[in-house]
Amino acid sequence: MAKTGIFLCRCFGAINGAVDLDALREKLGKIDSTITVSVHDSLCLEENINTTASLIRNTGMEKVLIGACSFLARGEAVVNGLVQEGVERSAIGLVDLREACAWIHANDPANATLKAYDLIRMEIAALGYRQKSRDVAVRVRPEALVVGGGPAGLSAAAALARLGLRVHLLERGASLGGMLNLISRVYPSDEKAQDKIRALTKEIGKNELIRVYPKGKITAVAGYAGDFKVRFSSSSGEERIRVGAVILATGARIYLPDGLYGYGKLKNVITQMELERQFVRGAVHTKGAVFIQCVGARNLERPYCATLCCPASLKNAMRIKDEKPDAEVFVLHRDIMMPGRVLEAYYRKALAKGVQFIRYEEARPPQILGDDGVEGVAVHDVITGVTRNLKVDLAVLSTPLVPNNDNKHLADRFGVQLDHHGFFKEIYPLHPLETRVEGVFICGSARWPVSSEQAMTQGEGAAVKAASLLGRERVRALSLSRVPGEKLGHASVNEKSCTGCGNCVAVCPFAACALQKVGRKFISRVNKMRCQGCGNCVSACPNGTIQLPEHDYRAVGAMIKYAFS
Amino acid sequence: MKGKDIFPVLVIGGGVAGIGAALAMADAGRRVHLVEKGFTLGGQVAKLDKLYPTDHCAFCPLWTDIKRLREHPLITTHCHAEVKELDKAKTGFHAVVVRKAAFIDESRCVFCGKCLKECQENAIVSQGAHVYPPSYRVDTEICTRCGRCVPVCPTGAIDFQRTDETFDLTCEHVVWAAGFTEFDLTPHPEFGVGSHPDIMTSLEFEEWTAEGGINKGKMVRKSNRSLPRAIAFIQCAGARDQRLLPYCSAVCCMHALKQARWVKRRNPSVHCVIFYTDLRTVGRDYYEYSLRDLGVNGVRLIRGRPSLIYPLPGGEGIAVRFENTMTQKREIWKFDMVVLNGNLSPSPVGAEREKGDLPSLTAEGFVNGEGDDISRLACGFTREPADVAESVIQASAMAMKTLSANREW
Repeated sequence: MAKTGIFLCRCFGAINGAVDLDALREKLGKIDSTITVSVHDSLCLEENINTTASLIRNTGMEKVLIGACSFLARGEAVVNGLVQEGVERSAIGLVDLREACAWIHANDPANATLKAYDLIRMEIAALGYRQKSRDVAVRVRPEALVVGGGPAGLSAAAALARLGLRVHLLERGASLGGMLNLISRVYPSDEKAQDKIRALTKEIGKNELIRVYPKGKITAVAGYAGDFKVRFSSSSGEERIRVGAVILATGARIYLPDGLYGYGKLKNVITQMELERQFVRGAVHTKGAVFIQCVGARNLERPYCATLCCPASLKNAMRIKDEKPDAEVFVLHRDIMMPGRVLEAYYRKALAKGVQFIRYEEARPPQILGDDGVEGVAVHDVITGVTRNLKVDLAVLSTPLVPNNDNKHLADRFGVQLDHHGFFKEIYPLHPLETRVEGVFICGSARWPVSSEQAMTQGEGAAVKAASLLGRERVRALSLSRVPGEKLGHASVNEKSCTGCGNCVAVCPFAACALQKVGRKFISRVNKMRCQGCGNCVSACPNGTIQLPEHDYRAVGAMIKYAFS
Repeated sequence: MKGKDIFPVLVIGGGVAGIGAALAMADAGRRVHLVEKGFTLGGQVAKLDKLYPTDHCAFCPLWTDIKRLREHPLITTHCHAEVKELDKAKTGFHAVVVRKAAFIDESRCVFCGKCLKECQENAIVSQGAHVYPPSYRVDTEICTRCGRCVPVCPTGAIDFQRTDETFDLTCEHVVWAAGFTEFDLTPHPEFGVGSHPDIMTSLEFEEWTAEGGINKGKMVRKSNRSLPRAIAFIQCAGARDQRLLPYCSAVCCMHALKQARWVKRRNPSVHCVIFYTDLRTVGRDYYEYSLRDLGVNGVRLIRGRPSLIYPLPGGEGIAVRFENTMTQKREIWKFDMVVLNGNLSPSPVGAEREKGDLPSLTAEGFVNGEGDDISRLACGFTREPADVAESVIQASAMAMKTLSANREW
């Protein structure tokens, strides 16, 4: 039996009012493994932690048991203090005697004391089996891979290069700029899109830290935060690189409304992007135009609002109004989505310029009149209850952005998640640019449809997250924690007993478990850099092969065994 | 860590945006001083019961970030503190920060509750249900400084001799993250604020119904503590209104949908009606969130802005007069509770400042991020109405700007 020292805290009377600590001391002293039991006024105050630590060192205790308050209260301060003084974390057990015994059973001191004794005995039993996860450290490659050369990717790459980090920029197409190449101007500043691209690519072009790979396609990814090994093909041939962090900024695709509102059949029924192209080429010829919002969006097939179709329509409606003040311009919408200060002001501006807004219902969509071209549009205005015939010769369909087809391919390679629409998914809203895999970040419309301006903001945000990883020389697996301090531990596999069933692979939310062929059989291997110590695999493993050393199943078993004996 | 000679960054505001900016900068090796006006970190999000669209408890994820912030070696936090002076200096900015005296030393308070029992004025209050480690503070407005609590404190944490602490700070950048406050609707009688206890703002309603709040998640009326039969959620109350707040507050549509959902979830018999202008659900899963509310949960949406909200004679219920703009019908409906949503305005920055340079503001009071050096770095609601995810994204982007400006790598 391991030599155990027990420290009990009175909390200045908050505990020993209900729990009889003297009786407890006597009873605990009789346990074989106990070498000392001491009672203190307070264990958590800074000055007392030193004395406790020196007591532990001088008496040669192997395990330490603290009976104090809850971990969330001051218990954590005691444990952390002792760890800082050099006591091994896995050798310390904390039992909550204040909130869980003294306070909640204040009216029943006898049973409170009994419960305290039981809790302490259970923790002593568990302490015998608690172990420590073996940490690993890797050297961080101070380079980043940015996938996608649109506004998000370009601003991320430029930001990283400004910090002196080497960047590999992979672009699917032949030229940089992404969707900005397709449009004429950007909202709300009404800047020319080409000027925006020029400003972004100028910094990329002259910076020798950034290497651009056009026509790039990722074929294989291995590794972990700090050292990803990526293989891809590009216009310069097959490449293999090793990078510390990855930023996914692959953007999104435009939905083509085939068959909707006569698109493809009727002349002058065009999409927003086709209108943009007309603006790029020169002026738009129309005597009256109608913009139809939510075409193929906010329906059962695509139940989401793509954020940028409303502002984009307003931008182009105002431009038509500016160029042809006599033309009547209508925006047919289901809700005008202009949240915030800047966009609401933009909406007001459109109203002031004479753009007319008509609200229609999903159940009664507008009708395009005409057999081979647009002769007019009939729409039921729900606000007035009147069906109107609009004299227009151009119908612009505002369609949403939809996820790229290769998102699944990339997500599988990197182990990140997609949401049910097919966009890249963040770990949770409070950490919107981080994925479940450490070292892989998302930004721009690949994450969720956004304007070019927002995409650039997100690019910079993702860059700072990547930079905080790349700035380190080495990174330890236990330090890659999403919670304060270090990770609780990481799962380890007993290779002899693993049957290769793959249960752990299926339940791991961080894509840390993988089956590997060793000799003639498959066994599970845990990537320590990815594992977050959640313990899902432990509960899914049929024969206890995979374990979190800090919460070994024998420790839990010993606690249960004591509790029910 | 390199860059010891470089001055730190001053972050003003300790809500999600401020926390996000401070952590992003410190993780990348920059020293940060964070000044928060309130007693605790977390800002408005810490007061929320649930977060949309995940419906998770708001505080748990926030708490891990607050904890990381407090334990970060490069971050110094100053709670219950204000920036009294701010001037441009050769190396950036010179700030004078005043930290109000904390009569109870947080690091020594063991939350034993002895002072609480001794105090006759109920001036000892908990820092909040969600603050860990838990501790007490003195409500200085109620406290009579009688000193009875001082000798009973076993750790000697209480000391009324402490005074406000003033210190100078030289910093290279200032990041504004002051967040939002509620715009007072009392002067505008059409909203009925103050005329009936059951007319409340959405943040008051959140606090009133929170699981960690006074009613422990139980849905009761403020007036007679009975279960309400019908609740009206009024969107754009004061917002998108050229007389009051001309902008859209961006977060309120989802906020109302979330509150209505949770009312329905806990009490299926309560009728919930949301009066809206445009249902702005632009983020990930937001639109589906609204669909679920309308379909499964049976929340009713009416497009229209109520013109008058007034208590019925005898205090039994509240009348809401509105025109349903989809059917062009004018109606008056009776509700038991009315929740006003949308009256959010940016927290005033620099109002408490005695002297120094002010950031350039827009007409509505937002910090103008396109403006001069002092206001360039602004994130969250103080720059533009933003929800949690958007605030954190902006915060990271601002952090990047402080890094790229000089190479401490």
